[in-house]
Amino acid sequence: MNATAPTSRHLASAELATGRWRVGMLALALAAVSAGAASAQARPDFAGTWTHASSVPANYPGSNGWGIPSPTIVITQSAGELAIESGQFGKQPMKVVFKLDGTDTIWEAPSASQSGNAAIVKWRTKASWDGSRLVLYTWNTALNQMRDIMSLSGNTLTIVRATEQPGPSTNATLTYNRR
Amino acid sequence: MRRTVLSLPASVVVLVGLLAVPASLQERAAAPPGKGGVGDIVGPYEVPDPKWPAWAHPYPKPGYIWGSQGGVFAESPNRIYLANRGELKLPDTVPPNFPGNWGFFNQQAATVPIANMVNCIVVVDGEGRLIEAWNQWDHLFEWGRGPHQIYISPYDPERHVWVVDDMRHVIFKFSHDGKRLVQTIGILDEFGDNDDLTRLRRPTMIDWLPDGTFFVADGYGNTRVVKYDRDGKPLMKWGTRGTGPGQFNTPHGIAVGGSPARVFVSDRGNRRIQVFDVNGRFLDEWPGIAPHSMMMSADEHVWAVDSISDRIVKFDLSGHVEFSFGQFGTRPGYTWAMHQISADQDGNLFISEVFGGRTQKYRPKPGANPTHLVRGRSLTPMGGSTR
Repeated sequence: MNATAPTSRHLASAELATGRWRVGMLALALAAVSAGAASAQARPDFAGTWTHASSVPANYPGSNGWGIPSPTIVITQSAGELAIESGQFGKQPMKVVFKLDGTDTIWEAPSASQSGNAAIVKWRTKASWDGSRLVLYTWNTALNQMRDIMSLSGNTLTIVRATEQPGPSTNATLTYNRR
Repeated sequence: MRRTVLSLPASVVVLVGLLAVPASLQERAAAPPGKGGVGDIVGPYEVPDPKWPAWAHPYPKPGYIWGSQGGVFAESPNRIYLANRGELKLPDTVPPNFPGNWGFFNQQAATVPIANMVNCIVVVDGEGRLIEAWNQWDHLFEWGRGPHQIYISPYDPERHVWVVDDMRHVIFKFSHDGKRLVQTIGILDEFGDNDDLTRLRRPTMIDWLPDGTFFVADGYGNTRVVKYDRDGKPLMKWGTRGTGPGQFNTPHGIAVGGSPARVFVSDRGNRRIQVFDVNGRFLDEWPGIAPHSMMMSADEHVWAVDSISDRIVKFDLSGHVEFSFGQFGTRPGYTWAMHQISADQDGNLFISEVFGGRTQKYRPKPGANPTHLVRGRSLTPMGGSTR
């Protein structure tokens, strides 16, 4: 093997390479931290008690009170779940839980059917993150459906709500202030 | 250009009055099937057999009855697909004159009571005997209200069966034998707004161009038509909410045909049919009719089933009414909310009723004027080449 002492040119090149490597690693680390921060920023904490602050849309509520803006909603949130306690799921106030891993939650509870009569029906919820917005779907087998797109800005919670039932569709932007 | 297609104002008033009267009372006052009312009741057809389809009589299972019938498609005289929005529990006692369809009870079967989603897609022969029950797919309809309509593209040599499910916001494409779900258009249970090409919002109906391009009326929730390529890739959409040209309020039916091809859209909430080219350019409107459904016939006419008058109306492709028949009711031959029509190669007409809760088969009267018969489009032979 023919060993050759490093020349200054070699040293400079090696140092340059090492320096580039360090810079690269630093950039990667910064990117990771930045992504983490962005991720943390992208997943706001909706927990709190919220008071409805916007006007009620003309076409609200949907059938049997479905989707009506509840005057007050109480949200609890953990890493894996978000729960909303409100009156927006029909005539009776109720607490609805959404898993934040994108899987369905299914249970049984009363709901006003399209005839207006209460019946025990199956309910289902699903949540998914869209950047900093949380998209919530709620369905039940009484043919009530609701999509809420939630976003947070300071102490203002905005819910872009769309409902479906056999009757007319509804669309509304609702704002809530933190109590 | 506006056209007066029906002299409807007076008849609408009469019919609205009729609709406000319970069906049983209205029918006691009505003439026997075949004559009377505001016009010809069964047109060139014979009064249907009230026991068709045989499989549904007496009932799918004891104590239950078919509910709303969303759709029907006659692939041939002996292979008819029925799209059933589930089964409903019968009252403990039914009167002896009960004919066997939910509409007899004067309840709209489309949404209440909540139906059991079983036997949602069945195939029967010309006598109404069960050939296939696609119970393996009943679960697809459990979170909705069942299949909205059912079709086979006339240009598809594989004869896939397409089922529109409005409340689950998708269109299912099944293999011809029903063993495979080949494709789902839209995202199951997710609804999108008018500018979302990935999701639908309560789609209603579908029709095709010969090259497999298809158009979806979308629908109850959105106010647009979505155009897809033959593989189901969305290409474009048109329509906004409103009453102007190119605007919609419940686009519920769609039919494609003519040369050059045009897209005829039932703008039900605005009580008109709008006509477009295949790229969504507005061409015409035909006011005065609010079809639940439309069908392009083999002789290149648009047949529309009017939700206002409960009449079946034949238009030429310029919007002129050539013929109409039908009347509201629940006795054989009458209809209550026709939702899809289909005709086989022998001239038999099939009509599904969402509120009447039945599908009726109408046979041509001997010597019937052939121009008054609904003629189904020929289907590409199985395994054949597309046109």
